[in-house]
Amino acid sequence: MTRLWWTQVKAVIRLELKKTFFAKRGLWIYVVAALPVLLFIAYAVAMSSEQHQTAKIARDGEKRLAYQDLVAIKSGMTKEEVTAILGKPPLSFHWNERRPIGPDSTVEILHEDLHYSDGENDLYLGLANGKVQSINIHASYNLGDDAVMFAGVFQFFFLRLAIFFGCLGIFMNLFRGEVLDRSLHFYFLAPIRREVLMAGKFLAGLLATCTIFITSELLQTAAFLWHFNPQTRDLYLYHNHGLEHAAVYVGVTFLACIGYGAFFLVAGMLFRNPIIPAAAVLIWEGINPFLPALLKQFSVIYYLKSLCPVEIPVSPGTPGLFALLISNADPVSPPFAILGILVVALLALFVSSVQVRRMEINYTTE
Amino acid sequence: MSNRIVFEDVSKFYGEILGVNRVNLSIPPGITSLVGPNGSGKTTLMNLMTGLVKPSRGRIEVLGYPTDDAENLFKFVGYSTQFDAFPKGLTGFQFIYSYLCLSGMPLQHAERTAWQAIERVNMVDAASRKVAAYSKGMRQRIRLAQALAHNPRVLVLDEPLNGLDPLARSEMIALFRASAAEGSYVIISSHILHEVDVISDQVILLSNGYVVAEGQIQSVRNEIQEHPTQILIRCDRPRELAAKLFESEYTIEASIHNDGRGLLLKTRDADRFYLALNQFALNGIQIESIAPADDDVLSVYEYLIGNEEVVR
Repeated sequence: MTRLWWTQVKAVIRLELKKTFFAKRGLWIYVVAALPVLLFIAYAVAMSSEQHQTAKIARDGEKRLAYQDLVAIKSGMTKEEVTAILGKPPLSFHWNERRPIGPDSTVEILHEDLHYSDGENDLYLGLANGKVQSINIHASYNLGDDAVMFAGVFQFFFLRLAIFFGCLGIFMNLFRGEVLDRSLHFYFLAPIRREVLMAGKFLAGLLATCTIFITSELLQTAAFLWHFNPQTRDLYLYHNHGLEHAAVYVGVTFLACIGYGAFFLVAGMLFRNPIIPAAAVLIWEGINPFLPALLKQFSVIYYLKSLCPVEIPVSPGTPGLFALLISNADPVSPPFAILGILVVALLALFVSSVQVRRMEINYTTE
Repeated sequence: MSNRIVFEDVSKFYGEILGVNRVNLSIPPGITSLVGPNGSGKTTLMNLMTGLVKPSRGRIEVLGYPTDDAENLFKFVGYSTQFDAFPKGLTGFQFIYSYLCLSGMPLQHAERTAWQAIERVNMVDAASRKVAAYSKGMRQRIRLAQALAHNPRVLVLDEPLNGLDPLARSEMIALFRASAAEGSYVIISSHILHEVDVISDQVILLSNGYVVAEGQIQSVRNEIQEHPTQILIRCDRPRELAAKLFESEYTIEASIHNDGRGLLLKTRDADRFYLALNQFALNGIQIESIAPADDDVLSVYEYLIGNEEVVR
């Protein structure tokens, strides 16, 4: 019997995959999945351009500088002392400021901005009347900041919006779309248990969403790594948990597809208008940080956030509500988080299986 | 295991709208036609029989299986619906093949069986074209092929002859007859009464969600007491015969046929009338033929339902 069911599940998957991947009404899902990839490509292009600029400044400098040279500059040094260490600046700007010091008198201050580079780090010096006032060293590669940025895009766009709406588009249409197309009876007239049909459709949806969003996730990682030089890339991947993070992000994407997929599968059977459940779930997931501990557990994002490998730091001064939204106040352990998502998904699938048995073909009321 | 399709006190309501009400049926093998005007409940009855809708009350069993057991039910039931929509992007062949694969059939077997079904409805040439590009008649035939593909014992066909040309109609009718002759249950709904008359072993007449009559057409006709039986007698001396027949207490009306070579009679007791007729035949009047004139579906339909929305 199990073998027959598996054969039938495969038949359902074959039929559904064609429809899911090539449906015109699902094209927007590809766009949503591609958006973060495009964002990281744009970021990589911008960073590459910045690196070229840094390299050019390093080449144009009077001296070939090392990082130690850049950090040797201290506040209060004169311009002559700076040029003695770093040489003539390859890039500089200056301007005069008239600063009032009394009712009828002003003092003139000469400002100079000097820009040096060792090829990988930029040194920005702000001088006032020939003395160093501000020092700013900017590294071309800041793995920590970049990893946080990636985590931010993943958590706040990819997970909460792209995967969320992608799953909505695919899973809600598994049954609802067929009712609207008036073709669901094709399945209901076959000698197949409704639960097996539901399982087949769910797996087809899962396969489609995982293919689309895991591909997107991998492309995002590739685009994110693009602007690093090979040494930095190796450092990030093999010594800075980069590879591990990438694998965890793929896993979280997979679990998100399971969780949201099961949620929207049942929603597609219970509601005629997808906007209502979508809005309800979006609000529920959004207010999750503010919910009591017990209610938090009936949410997908609660578990997914706990699995994300990089925590987004809350800057000092961030308003309380935003801080709560960003931070993960009471994370759960990874095994518990995985189990939690699977339990939530199984609950939703159980409701779906009850609902699919009750379904009738009555297109005229749709 | 029961060898009937059984409805026990079945009602179906769509909200407050009545689909069918208090239906009790026991359908034997052979061709059974569901006849009734639009909205009489024919499609609802078929959808109930195949589990596409669930009864609000009552119980349905098809050869002993409840209709919510799709996994077993559709091993021996094929349903050609009136829904004119197909899964998107499929060719005619893929439509049948996918259906067979869904039933768990091994792929090669499914392919072979799909082609056989397509051959049965003469669609081989068009099988590789998308169903979306088919004409109405072709879509009807490919739906029939789907219903027939797994050689079901119960064939439920909702208006199966709609959109078919005369040649295809006669081919399909032959197909239904062949299935019935093999002991299958062929349930057909139709508006076209002369075709129903020709192909049906029994009829179920529906009106406003109620079963008005069921059974073999002649027995249904015999039960309609308020309309006298009409008999057409072909003979050489119709006027003389008419005069003699009025001597019999069973004749209540007689009229000479338009061609002057026959009599149309009305009687309330056909059996006794036939006995009396033997006497007149012995008295030298040449009687060529005697045939009931109103024991067809059309007459029964008109007597019981009226002549609304019916195609003769």
